[in-house]
Amino acid sequence: MSIGAALAICFLISPANAGAPARAGGDSSAGVGKIPRLGSGRPDFSGIWQTTSAADQGLEPHEARKGAPPSAGIVEGDVIPYTPEALEIKKKNYEARATADPRLKCWTLGTPRGIYYPEPFQVLQRAQDLTLVFEFGDSVRTIHTDGTLHPAETDHEFWLGDSRGHWEGDTLVVDVRDFNDQTWLSRAGDFHDEALHVVERWKLIDANTIDYKATIEDPKVYSRPWNIEVYLYRHREKNFQLIENYCYTQDYDQYYPIPKQQ
Amino acid sequence: MMRLRIAAYALALLPVIAPAQQGQPGQPGPPGQPGAAAGGISYEKRFPVIESGKWTGKRLPDGQPDVAGDWSNTIANHDNFTDPQGGIPGDPSSVARNRKLGPREERAPSRVSDPADGELPYQPWARAKQQEFAVGFFNAVKPEYIEPLARCAPSGIPKSLYWHGYEIRQYPGYVLFLFGSGWRIIHLDDKPHLAANIKIWNGDSRGHWEGNTLVVDVSNENSKARFARTGDFASENVHIEERYIFSSDNKRYDYVATFTDPTVYTRPVTVTIPARRWTLNDPKNSWHFPVVAANNPGKEVIPDHFERICVENNGGFGQLAVPQKN
Repeated sequence: MSIGAALAICFLISPANAGAPARAGGDSSAGVGKIPRLGSGRPDFSGIWQTTSAADQGLEPHEARKGAPPSAGIVEGDVIPYTPEALEIKKKNYEARATADPRLKCWTLGTPRGIYYPEPFQVLQRAQDLTLVFEFGDSVRTIHTDGTLHPAETDHEFWLGDSRGHWEGDTLVVDVRDFNDQTWLSRAGDFHDEALHVVERWKLIDANTIDYKATIEDPKVYSRPWNIEVYLYRHREKNFQLIENYCYTQDYDQYYPIPKQQ
Repeated sequence: MMRLRIAAYALALLPVIAPAQQGQPGQPGPPGQPGAAAGGISYEKRFPVIESGKWTGKRLPDGQPDVAGDWSNTIANHDNFTDPQGGIPGDPSSVARNRKLGPREERAPSRVSDPADGELPYQPWARAKQQEFAVGFFNAVKPEYIEPLARCAPSGIPKSLYWHGYEIRQYPGYVLFLFGSGWRIIHLDDKPHLAANIKIWNGDSRGHWEGNTLVVDVSNENSKARFARTGDFASENVHIEERYIFSSDNKRYDYVATFTDPTVYTRPVTVTIPARRWTLNDPKNSWHFPVVAANNPGKEVIPDHFERICVENNGGFGQLAVPQKN
């Protein structure tokens, strides 16, 4: 075992990091090991990733509640800066979460929720793009890294936004915009409007860990931009693969019988 | 209806790569689908046979033949499996009723290339079930006569290959298909298939390259998608051996697959579907090739795609309670 690999494993099993992200502003480069790279030298994010955090239960710190574990939160400064009007909507969403969360209808999760949702996604990477294949809902997101710009025409129609990325050293910086308003950010009713703008920063801190940061702004909902940070861990189980989870039709399964011989 | 809005964009607002629209007067597109407005499906009545052999074209760094890009079948959509250009049997629409089909040999052949009669070799009970769906499609007195695609369920195998165009992306160890509804990952290794009790819309695929041919073994199909609006089907016991035979000029491929399902058919079935690649010179056709030009001002033309999320068919398409008058 190489020293780098040993460091990486020690880092992964460190209690201080297991299941929780480094808090924003912390030194998340500690324990740096060798990272995989493409032939071009760019970091290679290929692999199947998943958070171990409870971020999807609520982005802000929260106690345990029925059906949801506690979480230290992934929001820098702990509090999402909702406007007073938006905070009231968030509270209503929270009260209605058992039925109103779009994930329950298996709608595409959106960005960044798809990244920290507790189900794996696979990154497939080429020089010109990264393709994110989500197990949940059969969704696919392309992050373009070919220098192209957001579409000139915008119509607030994309569930996952339009993603254009560029490299700042070993960090992939992705500008995501042109969202619809149909997705939530968590099961706690955190939400956004069509003006959502997300800037992601993806960085491998060792071969098997991505430090994922995002700045989220939406002047219709938040009083200022705010930041999240979460770690994503590589699935390394033998023969691990995504299993298609097209859940949107699950309620109708009884109506899609496979014909049988009587 | 996001998809419809996107289709409208592709037609009208965004810089579309293709220089001109290819209309086909007298060749109706699929009713209610964007392709009809985009010039219809580019019907091809005959197609060349591509032989398996050496690949002499471009390769990716990992050695795979480079077949990445936008592809589409060249025949028709999923209205009819064995008479692909014959329309949906019993279609009450005025377009269908006024259509003169002509002799069978003037249309593209059945997707069933073996048996030679072009019919699926159903066991008698299975034929009855197929016909029940075909009749029920335009008289949906039971929910099960509404095709799952109406709720945008993944089209499964083989229907994904003739429901709109699709994109192939390749990576070391994988070939990825991106459809209008759902993805399919072909694993280029010999890891075992998923446990047999896991059934999924697009199955579980293991592949390898033999010269110009991508050979794929498929299991775990949930077989809920049906093959077409004619109700053709296999069961969840089906085993599929696919051969994607690419021409080295990278312009076309033939899909030739053996479907073995002793619980439904009396013998194995060979299904053949011709496909061709989108090129920069192609006329605009959002049904086959939902490609737009990326926003890349002053620089090279780069093909781009909108988000692939299907809501297209969630209306009442196909379920006409009363035939429309002319």
